[in-house]
Amino acid sequence: MAAQAQSEFRRQFHSSFLAFAAHVHRRHALRQALTGAGLGLALGALGALGLWAMRLGELRPFAAGLGAFGAAAGALWAGRRRWSDSDVALYLDARLGSHETLTTALGALGSNETEAPALSHVVERAANVLGSADKTRVRPRLWSRLHVALPVSAAAIVAVSLLPLPPAPKPPAVAPGAERVRIENLKGLERIEALDHLRGQNPEQDERLKKLAEQARKLRESLAKGLEKREALSEIAKLRDGIAAERLKLGDQQNRPGLDAALRVFGSNKALRDAQKALGNGDLTAFDEEMQKLANRAESTDRQAAKDALEEAAKEAREKGAKGLADALDAERRLFERRQEHAGALRELAQSMKGKLSREAEDDLKEFGRSGNPKAEQRLEQGLERALEGLTPEERKRLAERMQKQLKDEDGAAAPMTKKQLEDLAKSLSTDDGVESLEKQLKELAKPESSEDSEREQGLGDADHGGAEAERGLGAMPIPMSSDDSPGTGAGKAGSDKGAGKPGGEPGSGHDTGTGDHQGSTPEVAGKELRSKAEARLQAGAAMHGATLGRAPARAGETANQLGTGSLGDKGARQIEVGAVDHADIPEEYREQVGRYFEP
Amino acid sequence: MPDTTPTPTFEARLALARDTSIRLKRAIASVIVGQDAVVEQVLWGLIAGGHVLLEGNPGLGKTLLVRTLSSCLDLRFSRIQFTPDLMPSDVTGTNVLVMDAGAAGRAGRFELHKGPIFGQVVLADEINRATPKTQSALLEAMQEHAVTIAGIRHKLEEPFFVLATENPIEMEGTYPLPEAQLDRFLLKVSVPTPNEDELTEILARTTGKPVGEPERVLSQEDVRGLQALCREIAVAEPVLRYAARLVSASAPDAADAPALVRRAVRYGAGVRGAQSLVLAGKAVALLEGRAHVAFADLQKTAAPVLRHRILLSFEGEADGVSCDQIVRELLASVLTRPEAVERAAQGV
Repeated sequence: MAAQAQSEFRRQFHSSFLAFAAHVHRRHALRQALTGAGLGLALGALGALGLWAMRLGELRPFAAGLGAFGAAAGALWAGRRRWSDSDVALYLDARLGSHETLTTALGALGSNETEAPALSHVVERAANVLGSADKTRVRPRLWSRLHVALPVSAAAIVAVSLLPLPPAPKPPAVAPGAERVRIENLKGLERIEALDHLRGQNPEQDERLKKLAEQARKLRESLAKGLEKREALSEIAKLRDGIAAERLKLGDQQNRPGLDAALRVFGSNKALRDAQKALGNGDLTAFDEEMQKLANRAESTDRQAAKDALEEAAKEAREKGAKGLADALDAERRLFERRQEHAGALRELAQSMKGKLSREAEDDLKEFGRSGNPKAEQRLEQGLERALEGLTPEERKRLAERMQKQLKDEDGAAAPMTKKQLEDLAKSLSTDDGVESLEKQLKELAKPESSEDSEREQGLGDADHGGAEAERGLGAMPIPMSSDDSPGTGAGKAGSDKGAGKPGGEPGSGHDTGTGDHQGSTPEVAGKELRSKAEARLQAGAAMHGATLGRAPARAGETANQLGTGSLGDKGARQIEVGAVDHADIPEEYREQVGRYFEP
Repeated sequence: MPDTTPTPTFEARLALARDTSIRLKRAIASVIVGQDAVVEQVLWGLIAGGHVLLEGNPGLGKTLLVRTLSSCLDLRFSRIQFTPDLMPSDVTGTNVLVMDAGAAGRAGRFELHKGPIFGQVVLADEINRATPKTQSALLEAMQEHAVTIAGIRHKLEEPFFVLATENPIEMEGTYPLPEAQLDRFLLKVSVPTPNEDELTEILARTTGKPVGEPERVLSQEDVRGLQALCREIAVAEPVLRYAARLVSASAPDAADAPALVRRAVRYGAGVRGAQSLVLAGKAVALLEGRAHVAFADLQKTAAPVLRHRILLSFEGEADGVSCDQIVRELLASVLTRPEAVERAAQGV
């Protein structure tokens, strides 16, 4: 009987214990799952916040999935860390205050000494303890403080999911010049493209000029499609370098002695100073203009001096090895002769038409003879044309007779070619066709004639300016301009300048209380007239020409007017630089002051 | 004729033990005023079959307690007053040459004169006043319940129970007990000074008519039965492990030793200490009518079981650390259950 009762107790304890243990395990697993879910949701909230910051808005709600993942991980963890039966018994003993009765009884179930009276007694006691125990009293606590994370994190995820996304971050700053520009027709490039029609010194240069023009065309096309700004600027700079390389380099090592000699020749005559300055600056266009003025002058001594100077300078330059310069001077001399003849013819015609000319035309005739100004020449030619149109047949006849008489009176004083032309003119003036022919010739005369070198230099200069204009168009050299190119208006309030001088002679003080803004803008600058030295291209290894030379090291008291003397040595002032102050375009009184300052 | 007396059931024996202990405490209390904890702990030693060292100031009733206990038990009582000139033979006894009067000539024989150790309840009064040589005479008796005299081993009559006393304040002319001997004591019981009420009661009892002898509660058989029942008390494996952890942690080089132990302890308790802890725990469980040991039983007995088995280091003694402090630290730091179970049980 006793054994049966014991067996019953054992069975009863075992089943009760298993039921309690299962309950404890379930609660424990649930608690761990909740803890895992809480941690997962907390991580999810952080993740959602990160997604929000990364502007991945549509992914934010999925951060809640981390909660489910955490719950599963927690449950898995609880499974791996599942309490043993002994742990459960210890837990139940602690909660029930049963002094390790259940633990001892559990041990008794697994021991061989099951028949020991003490163990049987303990099992019986344990069965009674479990039988009278309330499951709700012993169940493990489900919630902990950590579980506050569950609602808080869930709410945070919802809030972050509903939160509007932050503004998109600014794209990273583009490297200077890396931005793409797209310009259909960049102004200035057409002036480089015009090199295509420029005549070079030789076929090789023709080829190079055509290549430059072609490159400019390609750049225009590329710009129309879109190009990095820095690349476009680089292309333009290359073009300008190419243009600079094609220009006559009178100041380089080879031409320098010849140039100095030529300048000396021109410097010997005061009437040729302007031409000397233009040549010294390496500006053949200006030099050509000066020579044209000289050729146009009525004073024959000036013309002869210019012609002789050209001839002698070409000879000196050739002797000094400056062949390019010598050729240019020879060409200029030939052109000078032609211009001289044209000018003479024009002057003769105007003389013969005296009385029929307008007052303005007569003034132009005077100025033409005095200064040789090409503009005056053009105006005179236009005046002659108008005068010819207004002549009656009778007047034409008289004009022809007067011209023939004038030719007889001069008896060969005029140039042979001019004389012949005038004879022809005099013959033809009697007919309508002759008048028309004369008008045509006058128009031809009105066309400015310049030397090839001058034309080429002018074309190259124009192309270079076109390159500069294109660079400005790309923003390389921003010039503040108002949109309508009109000067801005600075709105300002007049201020008061109240001096507080005292009668005793103390210095007065005052302050300007006026306020104003700086919204005004300058009008567009006529770029063609600007010739900035800053645009000059530096040629590696070559000395710079003109006024930019003379940066030789010198000590106080030494003067740049001494030709290669003193400590300046070979690096001292060159011929062109000696007396440079006198050549400058500054008022005489200042020039004298500066000259005195530099006197040794 | 076979014994037809029905064998009492375990439950009945358990109940009887509980009743007996209650009667015993009551009988002792009729003579001893207060000192319930001391009486309780002496009973643990008696039931567990171990020896008890009582430590307390003079006049606290240590000797009276032992005499009263022996009166309550139907056991032979002997008392040894330890003094510096006490010899081992004074404890164990000796062979005495006895001349046979009837015999011719000078023939004689050696006769054993048993010493006081041959009692069943032996009071070793002021044990630390004897020399270590004499103290060691108790070793064999306490450990093996036997005495060897002149090469002949004499078994001591069971139950054999040594109750020693020592005075902690008089250090002059004393010989501290060696560790080996201390280890033989199951418990070291500190006898506290009585409080005012207890002292009043003592005065009332001892200054009037002499008090009669207490009633005899337990026979030798009863004591042996209690001791046997004590051994039957079940101990679960986690409880045994707890005892092992407690004792292990008392060693300063143990991995789980608390900081105080590492600093203040030179040697911790050994295997005998762990055995004593479990045995004393069983006695506690038995006295409380339980058939198994609980963690609380071990915690209750930890101080008297371990305090004399822990040897303080120089630093510990210099800092005034007591062994009881060490035990309290051990109980606080060594967990009864796995941490997760403990936290769940506390509802955290």
